Amino acid sequence: MSRTDQTPPQAVADGGRAPGSLLSRVQADRSVTRMVVLVVVAFAFFAVLNPRVFLSSINLQNIAISSPEIGVLALAMMLAMLTGGIDLSLVSIANLSAITISTLFTAVGENDPALAQSLAPLFVLAGIGVGLLGGLVNGFLVSRVGITPILATLGTMQAFNGLAVVWTGGTVLYGSPDSLTSLGQTAIAGVPVLFVVLLVTAAVVAVVVNRTPIGRKVQLQGANPVAARYSGIDSRQVLMRTYLISGALGGLAGVLFLSRNPTASADYGASYVLLVIVIAVLGGTNPNGGFATVTGVVLATLTLQIVASGFTAIRLSSYQYAIAQGAILIAVMVIDQVRWRRRPPRRRAGTSQASTPA
Amino acid sequence: MSGGLARFRGRNNEGVLAVVLLLLVVGMSVANPAFFSLSTGFSILRGSIVPLVFALGVLLVIISGGIDVSFAAIAVFAAYTTVKVAGSTALPLGVLGAFGLALVIGALLGLVNGLVIARFRLPTLIVTLGTQGIFKGVLLTYVGARFIADLPDSMAGLSTTNLLTIGSGQGRAQLHVLVLPAIALAVLLAWMLRRTMFGRSIYAIGGDQEAARRAGIRVMRTQVWVFALVGMMAAAGGMFHMIMGRSANPQDLVGGELDIIAAVVLGGASIFGGRGSVLGTVLGVLLVQVINNSLILVGVPSAWQRTAVGVLLIVGVGVQALAARRSARKVHANVIDQQEVAA
Repeated sequence: MSRTDQTPPQAVADGGRAPGSLLSRVQADRSVTRMVVLVVVAFAFFAVLNPRVFLSSINLQNIAISSPEIGVLALAMMLAMLTGGIDLSLVSIANLSAITISTLFTAVGENDPALAQSLAPLFVLAGIGVGLLGGLVNGFLVSRVGITPILATLGTMQAFNGLAVVWTGGTVLYGSPDSLTSLGQTAIAGVPVLFVVLLVTAAVVAVVVNRTPIGRKVQLQGANPVAARYSGIDSRQVLMRTYLISGALGGLAGVLFLSRNPTASADYGASYVLLVIVIAVLGGTNPNGGFATVTGVVLATLTLQIVASGFTAIRLSSYQYAIAQGAILIAVMVIDQVRWRRRPPRRRAGTSQASTPA
Repeated sequence: MSGGLARFRGRNNEGVLAVVLLLLVVGMSVANPAFFSLSTGFSILRGSIVPLVFALGVLLVIISGGIDVSFAAIAVFAAYTTVKVAGSTALPLGVLGAFGLALVIGALLGLVNGLVIARFRLPTLIVTLGTQGIFKGVLLTYVGARFIADLPDSMAGLSTTNLLTIGSGQGRAQLHVLVLPAIALAVLLAWMLRRTMFGRSIYAIGGDQEAARRAGIRVMRTQVWVFALVGMMAAAGGMFHMIMGRSANPQDLVGGELDIIAAVVLGGASIFGGRGSVLGTVLGVLLVQVINNSLILVGVPSAWQRTAVGVLLIVGVGVQALAARRSARKVHANVIDQQEVAA
């Protein structure tokens, strides 16, 4: 934590900066540093305990292939949390997207298999479109009707999931374009394409959040909705766009589900809802809004996947992984909180206007 | 709004909810006369017992301004552990002993939530998400993951005890004995929330934590007690669930938390805290049960149930949100109106 402690001189040095962005830089440094340390520690821990299994290339490949779908969902969750909201419906949206693609492919493929294969990009777009539609519903409920995000998305989570159950009749759908499946299996220079998709998505989200007007508005909306309104920010529009983007990311996650595994069902990834919240918070996202880092979230995704596969490598059960998830989440929150309290009063006073200790 | 109407409508729209429930029952009875029978009524009551006990616990947390998603994990932890202990040890635990053990376990797990939340002032959603994983993981790893098909005799005896049996053969209507403790709990809780210092403190904390602190309420202590109480209620609910299901499945219940929270919110409790009532929660739970029950009777496939409950939640909360927005506008224009709402 030496980096954080060096910040006051830095603060003097860039005196021209707005306090808000300085604070977010301090926090960004801190949560990214923490996540780098955690990734390395987790990796080293399991590498030492069972190097033969954990360091095998299959295991490393597995980590890289299973991370992207969770990572994309976590980024979507991060966006919703950035505005001070939450999106519980993401996994349901992702499943609807996967089901749409699979159904379209099977329907077209019945008459003309070759055509179905060649229309794959169109199907993928349809899947992401379904995600956008889900996001539109969420955005409408949150921004126009004014329902609290946690309740609105709780309702849509049930509704979307119910639709998926009705659609599939509770069964597992088989069938997805070959190009998607092969995409899930190829690797460029040892790095699976799916992982590249995650990195590209993360980069795009990072640019949107940090470099575009809409990203700024999203951050301000989450940090202080009242100030945002008095600054002339149309909070309805900001919220609507946020949920649209996170819905689209949910749709993309559905595409990733399908490319990893050519089946779609209504209840795939039921445990992801909680996992994704854990990842977002672990990655330094303030659940009260206003602050998040994309790098932190990506690193948190990796950490949890490393722990998951590490637990398998040292033969611990998925139940023990659930314990670890919960313990990590609470430990990180407690440590953060204790650190906030211990901050010297002078510095605390200096930053208090923008800080909302979670 | 005239006085009588306002009183009927209730502080949290309980009256509206009651009318909706009544309309639904009448509508269903017209659509399918088979619906309007004592056995349907009793089976809806039976199905409401466990959700109601959970929902009352969730109501306490929501009034205090928090949210709890770990209660199902606590319920299954306490009840499964109790069944296992009662089944494996030689000493006869009896029904009361078994409930006592379950309540102690529930209270301890609830205390864990309460202490972490109050001591470190962490968001309740995140903490209970974490403890949910921990409780479930510990149960399945260290207590047991096996399905127990038969309960200890003392509990099994309760499984088949009915309070009332009316008619015979096909048309037999049975009212399960466990509705009694569920009703008793609801009455007790309503009394506690309205008439005791502790109950008023919960509303005060949920309304404005800082104001409550300045008014001399011990926020931390109240919060810890709320979570311990919720843990105990969850444990009781878990025991009821296992007794009525006549088996103990450690994989049960967890995953259904959001349905319960939906019922509480439908019952008029505000997710921001400070508002909510036992009557509203009872009506919310009954409404969800009636809808689930009637969908099957009118021939809607059970697959639509989840969608129906989701849409119901959105409509219910949406109407409240729009009404709140309208009244917020009215408050600006009319201060007297505001005083009436507050009174």
